[in-house]
Amino acid sequence: MPIEVIFFIEVLAGGLLAGVMYALVALGFVLIYKASGVFNFAQGAMVFFAALTFVSLLALQWNFWLALLVTLAVMVVLGLVTERVVLRPLVNQPPITLFMATIGLTFVLEGLSQLIWGSQPHGLELGIPDVPMEWLSQRWNVNISQFDLFAAFVAGLLVAVLAVFFQKTRIGRALRAVADDHQAALAVGIPLQHIWAIVWAVAGFVALVAGLMWGVRNGVQYALTFVALKALPVLLIGGFESIPGAILGGLIIGATEKLAEVYVGPMFGGGIESWFAYVVALLFLLVRPEGLFGEKHIDRV
Amino acid sequence: MILSVEDVSLAFGGVKALSDVSFDVKEHEIRAIIGPNGAGKSSMLNVLNGVYRPQKGKIRFKEKVFSGMDPHAAAALGIARTFQNIALFKGMSVLDNIMTGRNQRMRCNFLQQAIWLGSAKREELEHRRAVEEIIDFLEIQHIRRTPVGRLPYGLQKCVELGRALAAEPRLLLLDEPMAGMNLEEKQDMCRFVLDVNDQFGTTIVLIEHDMGVVMDISNRVVVLDYGRKIADGTPEEVRKDQKVIDAYLGLAH
Amino acid sequence: MAIGTLDTFPKLLMHHAQARGARPAIREKDLGIWQTWTWREFADETRALACGLATEGVKRGDHVALVSDNRPRLYAMMCAVQCLGAVPVPLYQDAVAAEMAFPIQNAAITHAYAEDQEQVDKLLEIQPRCPTLRRIYYDDPRGLRHYPQKELLAYDALRDAGRASLKRDPAFLEGEIAKGSGEDTAAMLFTSGTTATPKGVALTHHALIDRATVAAKLEGLGERDVALAYLPPAWVGQFIFSLAQPFVTGYCICCPESPETVMMDMREIGPTYYFAPPRVLEALLTQVSIRMEDASRLKRWLYRRFMDVAGRVGGALLDGKPVGFFDRILYGLGDLLVYGPLRNVLGMSRVRVAYTAGEAIGPDLFKFYRSIGVNLKQLYGSTETSVFVCIQPDGQVKADTVGPAVPGVELKFTPQRELLIRSPGLFKEYYKNPQATQEAKDAEGWFHTGDAGYFDPDGHVKIIDRVKDVGQLADGTLFAPKYLENKLKFFPFVKEAVCFGQGKDRVCAFINMDMDAVANWAEKRNMPYSGYTDLASRDEVYDLVAGCVERVNADLAQDAELAASQIHRFLILHKELDPDDEELTRTRKVRRGFIAEKYAALLNALYSPARTARVTAQVRYEDGRTGTLSAELKIRDVKTFPPAAAKQAA
Repeated sequence: MPIEVIFFIEVLAGGLLAGVMYALVALGFVLIYKASGVFNFAQGAMVFFAALTFVSLLALQWNFWLALLVTLAVMVVLGLVTERVVLRPLVNQPPITLFMATIGLTFVLEGLSQLIWGSQPHGLELGIPDVPMEWLSQRWNVNISQFDLFAAFVAGLLVAVLAVFFQKTRIGRALRAVADDHQAALAVGIPLQHIWAIVWAVAGFVALVAGLMWGVRNGVQYALTFVALKALPVLLIGGFESIPGAILGGLIIGATEKLAEVYVGPMFGGGIESWFAYVVALLFLLVRPEGLFGEKHIDRV
Repeated sequence: MILSVEDVSLAFGGVKALSDVSFDVKEHEIRAIIGPNGAGKSSMLNVLNGVYRPQKGKIRFKEKVFSGMDPHAAAALGIARTFQNIALFKGMSVLDNIMTGRNQRMRCNFLQQAIWLGSAKREELEHRRAVEEIIDFLEIQHIRRTPVGRLPYGLQKCVELGRALAAEPRLLLLDEPMAGMNLEEKQDMCRFVLDVNDQFGTTIVLIEHDMGVVMDISNRVVVLDYGRKIADGTPEEVRKDQKVIDAYLGLAH
Repeated sequence: MAIGTLDTFPKLLMHHAQARGARPAIREKDLGIWQTWTWREFADETRALACGLATEGVKRGDHVALVSDNRPRLYAMMCAVQCLGAVPVPLYQDAVAAEMAFPIQNAAITHAYAEDQEQVDKLLEIQPRCPTLRRIYYDDPRGLRHYPQKELLAYDALRDAGRASLKRDPAFLEGEIAKGSGEDTAAMLFTSGTTATPKGVALTHHALIDRATVAAKLEGLGERDVALAYLPPAWVGQFIFSLAQPFVTGYCICCPESPETVMMDMREIGPTYYFAPPRVLEALLTQVSIRMEDASRLKRWLYRRFMDVAGRVGGALLDGKPVGFFDRILYGLGDLLVYGPLRNVLGMSRVRVAYTAGEAIGPDLFKFYRSIGVNLKQLYGSTETSVFVCIQPDGQVKADTVGPAVPGVELKFTPQRELLIRSPGLFKEYYKNPQATQEAKDAEGWFHTGDAGYFDPDGHVKIIDRVKDVGQLADGTLFAPKYLENKLKFFPFVKEAVCFGQGKDRVCAFINMDMDAVANWAEKRNMPYSGYTDLASRDEVYDLVAGCVERVNADLAQDAELAASQIHRFLILHKELDPDDEELTRTRKVRRGFIAEKYAALLNALYSPARTARVTAQVRYEDGRTGTLSAELKIRDVKTFPPAAAKQAA
């Protein structure tokens, strides 16, 4: 294959795989937004908190799986507590109030994690090296990171698990019912608060998975909180209420920003990767304000 | 006697919606509550279902006395209902909508379901069967997988009835089940109501605005006007009652 | 158990229970799940039912009415009746009660089987007029719990009683089955009596088994095939496809969940053997077209592009004719993008053999299915012939013939062009109607079909009309008005057509345009018009219709027999033909004689050199008032073509 083509494939694959990582974060937003209409600004902080808790436990010489299990438990409890302490008292408040509350939560989580685990950045190692796949390099001369592929696989698995949970179980169905129509859900005796608690717990679980992947990629550090900001354009493109949208949105953002960096970046003297995603999202807003998969809301007058 | 309502009064601010209403419902009967617009029919149903808590009076259901319920508790006790303006999950399929009606009856906890193994799966299949029987009963096999939002109004009403039936209720509350339907749909709905009553032995309380078809299918009728009970008896008795005639004539401007 | 010669359906069933006991025999979707009876279960159920019926007093030679949609229990019941040497009489489940009275009286039916409350109600309603009817079995008990009638007995109760009796005396049933012979009547099917009283067509086991076997061999049907049973079981075709042929070959039939779910069920089952009358195929195509109109622009473009390709080469590929390499690639791509998904939506992905019959099928409709790779073929037959008389063999499929005779069938045409048939599949008799039997089946055993036609050069049978409607032009050549009218009506713009020519030197026609189609067409061209009469008189519309007539003429010129009946002139009528004005029958057949009289002036103008004709007609409005309508109608000459044979010679 000509070298240009190989290079293009490498950039595209790298972008798509980075997109998977964005999608992981966006997923947490979508879950909570769908079920309760809250834009949870603290999702980034939850990702950070999960990753930090896990590496700190590892640093204490804990067994890998035990640490994972305990972190999972912590994240679920965190989700439950958040729903109980922060959101339940604010039920029926305007969305902006809830949004502010989640911003507050962000700072609490950051402070809390530093208080407990210190502000030292940690490296995280899951045993999957971030090196090119040998098979692909030898056969096609294409370099794609093993870890990136692993992350994509994990993300795929997570989405599959969530899909089965949502489609095939009573609670999943109740979650969809609540997301569809709060009033109707109440009417058939679905306990809303119970469902919200579960959603927050699931979001905590998703945050853990995202935290692990991002932790390996960028190291576990305070800046992880800001991956939440990268999820924003993903959501604008995919729609706030759609899980497939979050994934596709992530892929689009990942691919375009990498391609732009490589092919368009030089014209601007490089460094456009950090802001190009927002430009794409803005363009999308102009064409399809409700996002790719978002629901069109027609307000009754 | 499965249900009795004793001296129930309900007011919103200064407006009295119900004043000292009493009536009872026998096991296995079809009981209609009729009355002109604003007579307090829907308020009455909402009291039974726990949406409103009356200021005064008692509700006796299956030998237990309540001064008020909440919807969740009512559902747990075996009271299911439909709504005048259809409260279905529009984005979900007919099957899923009816499945939500069985929420109360499913026991597996979050963890079991999260891993979707053994008991949770078995439970899901068992309930699926029960729901399929309802789908068969209502003859809506062809729309099983259709999102409810895409169905015509009459079928949505039917699906809502199905969701209420899925809870296998002791008492079924129907809020204007035939409102907005054409004649054929009304006949179908009547047939379903009678069949439910006959086949499952479900006690039914239904509200209707006009006297029409309900009179043919009800065993006994309560008539409300301005929040007060003005008549109570068999359809023939009620039809002849002067107060009822006046109330309805008074409405016909 | 030794079964001996397999000359009756019960013997075949018992044979399958031994030979392929664990294979699926019949499926039904119930409570959302496909439930299967294996051949062994099917046979067990049938045995129990047969013994139950015997204890209820059903004897050899009795007739048992069955009113049910396609369900495993119906077919088990039918075969149980046959086990005892009695005759199943399936009745149309959508018939009103009064229509059921005649068959029951005619065959002095004592036992009947009904699917549900609706059918039970009908039978009970006519019971006072049918005093012989003393037992009604029902399947679905819903709504029947409080019925006091002593005649009613549940299917389950019948079967359980039968099981008990079977246990006590297992030899009885074996003996009864063994007593059956191929010459016994296997079923009695009533022909729909739109014109006269219905006739009960008695068909023997031998006739049905013979025809079913021959046709199954021709198509290579075997136990792995699957068919969907969705048409009325009282219709001979469904009887053949869901009882006779599966019993002969061992294939599996599937019963849909409800009439509304047929499309979905078909998609799930993926039948390999399929039958549909033209109207069903047309309805399916309409659904596809509607969905395509709602599809995205890209999809519509793909659909149009690739349907063009399919129209060009799809039929040829299916017939195994040579097709250019590039077209093959294009068709392959189309199969991936359009035809495959389309077949999937239609539930025809696995169809190997599909038949259509019953009425003339439009060539465009027929070619559509073949072009997307569905092996749709025409067949010819009727209740009296156990269906299979002619079948189009693979590779010899034409839109306008029904194919050559199936092996075993002798065909000939009378000088009046009536098709006569001699076949092992012919019916035994019209029940209790020897006169009608004699009229239909002559002393030499030829069955007079009443259909007119002829052999085309390849030896295929071409049916053009009913004999009584076929006439002659002045020079004695064939004139088949209904054939011409049908050809015209296949165009969407033509709603009705009335062709004249009996005893004249050439054919002329009245055309009724299809208001919906033409109005739509006019709208797309921004053509203003004030109403039906105005639109019908437009030159543009005349051009449009003339195009259709011309295509019919070109087509007729290809056929030596019909080349003379090309349409020379036509006019478009100013109003729609209407049953209320007695111009159509209630079943919407044109009343040619009445129309010729009523519009004599128009007809005369067509056969004169006049360019226009004036019409004044009384019209009856919907509220019952009458008024007069007067209009000047244009007459248009149409291009005709020299006969193809002449062209070739030249």
